[in-house]
Amino acid sequence: MLIELNDLVPDPLPEKIVEASGIWGGELRIETRSKVLVSAQSGMGKSTLLHILYGLRQDYTGTAKVDGTCLRQFSTQEWERVRRERISLQFQDLRLFPNLSARENLLLLPQSNPAAPSLEEMAERLEMTPFLNQSLSTLSQGQRQRMALVRTLRKPFRFLMLDEPFSHLDETNQMSACSLIEEIVDRNQAGLLVSSLGSTPHLPFDQIIEL
Amino acid sequence: MKESVNQSILQASLQVSGPRRELLIASLGCLMGTSLLLLGIQFYQDAYAYLEQSQGPKNYFTLNKKVSGGALVNLGKNDQNFGPDELLEIRQTEGVRRLGGFSRNQFPVTVYIWPTGTVGLGAAAKADLFFESIPDEFLDFIPPDWEWEENASFVPIMVPKFYLDLWNFGLAPSRVEYPSLSTKAASGMPIEIFIGKSREATLEGRFVAFSKRINSVLVPESFLRWANQKYGQPDAGKFFFLWKEGTISGPPISPSALSALRNEAKFTEWEVSPLDQPANRIPAAEALAEPVASDGPSRIILEVVDNPSPALHALIEEMGYEMNREFPEQDLIKKALNGLFLGMVGIGLIISILSISTFASSFRLVVGRASEPTRNLILLGFSKDQISRVFFHRFIRLFSTTLLGAVLVSWASKYYLAEKAKDLGFESESGLSAISLACLAVYAALYLILNKRVIEKSVGELVNQPSSPIRHP
Repeated sequence: MLIELNDLVPDPLPEKIVEASGIWGGELRIETRSKVLVSAQSGMGKSTLLHILYGLRQDYTGTAKVDGTCLRQFSTQEWERVRRERISLQFQDLRLFPNLSARENLLLLPQSNPAAPSLEEMAERLEMTPFLNQSLSTLSQGQRQRMALVRTLRKPFRFLMLDEPFSHLDETNQMSACSLIEEIVDRNQAGLLVSSLGSTPHLPFDQIIEL
Repeated sequence: MKESVNQSILQASLQVSGPRRELLIASLGCLMGTSLLLLGIQFYQDAYAYLEQSQGPKNYFTLNKKVSGGALVNLGKNDQNFGPDELLEIRQTEGVRRLGGFSRNQFPVTVYIWPTGTVGLGAAAKADLFFESIPDEFLDFIPPDWEWEENASFVPIMVPKFYLDLWNFGLAPSRVEYPSLSTKAASGMPIEIFIGKSREATLEGRFVAFSKRINSVLVPESFLRWANQKYGQPDAGKFFFLWKEGTISGPPISPSALSALRNEAKFTEWEVSPLDQPANRIPAAEALAEPVASDGPSRIILEVVDNPSPALHALIEEMGYEMNREFPEQDLIKKALNGLFLGMVGIGLIISILSISTFASSFRLVVGRASEPTRNLILLGFSKDQISRVFFHRFIRLFSTTLLGAVLVSWASKYYLAEKAKDLGFESESGLSAISLACLAVYAALYLILNKRVIEKSVGELVNQPSSPIRHP
């Protein structure tokens, strides 16, 4: 997926941040299958960017295009299809279902990714197998973050967006997660956009943008 | 697109406790409204079917000559009976298929009807009665017991079906000693028939049939002919006051008794007057000059091809006859029933509409309480339709249970009332008719469509509300 941003400025962002930003108010082009890291401190609009690209926010000026089509032109049904088949996003606040078990959370998808390894294999690689049948509410924040990552990777996508995906993971878990991400992104021949608070995950990024 | 999601997990993700009290009220309202509506529609059909079934045939009429003024005013003028020429003229009128004459008893009749089924047990309904007979071919059907042989003590009697209705709905509810009667029970009641002023003879009788055609108390022709000969009083009903020198003299007198006095010295000065119009006096000699009444019937029954023809109407007008349809029109009953059932259906509809709106607002609340998981599902790529379907299935489960309850309540009420009605001689099919069930299907479809829209709208509003992180233009 080719992503193009032109003069994009989210509404409530202070002018000072816009002026200092590498994305806001300028031009940005994320090529198909490229891997991009957006690094910034809190409050600089990392999540806002991801939300705009996922169609969750319309309160911006400028244009954002996916494969040449302006995002504002997408209908509700088109957004449903994009989220179901084209873009997968791991939210910073995870948005899991606390009343379901970990396994049920992973199974609850409108469509699964045929290129992804099995649920069990992914859980095994992230050392989550013992917790699969536990209620989500009994898991730690780090365990939940890994569950959210597995769920995001189980969705079909041509573009993967991860919003601070390793904020609660230790070094070992980060390595395992990065390996899994890289493998599935490559299998899907997809693009990748990761946001972080300043650290650089162990992924082969083509482009690193400081917000 | 492969549907990989497990439906039960999707339902579990949206499982929030609904507003129990509101849902209970909505379900009860739906149950009551639907039951009332269903019963109203069903009873309307049953009542109409019964009325149609009990309605007398439309092509039977009776004719008699108009009676005006008192008996004496008519004396010497028109004969109240139909003569052979008149009968022939009527018979030959266009549209008349056949006619038959009524014969009437010429003796007093008193009956004791024993509703308990045994003579002497409980209270008897006592009445002074009349008997009529018509040729058997005019009866709607000839009951098996419709035979009378000379000197037999048992007399079969046929009364109009609506006499039984009058008994059941008029007399029985107002008198504790008279039970409601089915056709069968009424046929089993023994009747004592006392004939003559001083009860010269006592016979046994029984209602052997209930006629939907003839509006009279009928006995076999053979019996009436015999009884009239044996107990008949030729002067029956023709008494008048005898006036001598301006004052009434003695008790009312019959024409034959008057005739015996015609050789009295002052007979030519005497006057007579009808019992009910003492002022209408005429000379006694003039009263005796009354032509002998013809032997013909005073009332005839007519079968016409369809409706009375214009020619028949013209004849009736010209000759001053009076035409009666045998049974009163049921329009008034139908109007009353219409009002009753429309009211019932109306109340059912109002309760149903209220229950629909309670359901709708309850489900808006259910959707509202599940706003967080709903949004998360949208963010995962689930469509609004998929999510609405989960809520709608939940509604269907509740609604179908309620609907089934309503059908059971209506069916049980109908069954109970049909059994009660059977005791009164109303035969109606137990259970609900195909029309009622079809109406229920239409109603259920409307109910479902309305609530489906409400649920879809609620989910849509959740996605599109200004504070939503997934708002679309």
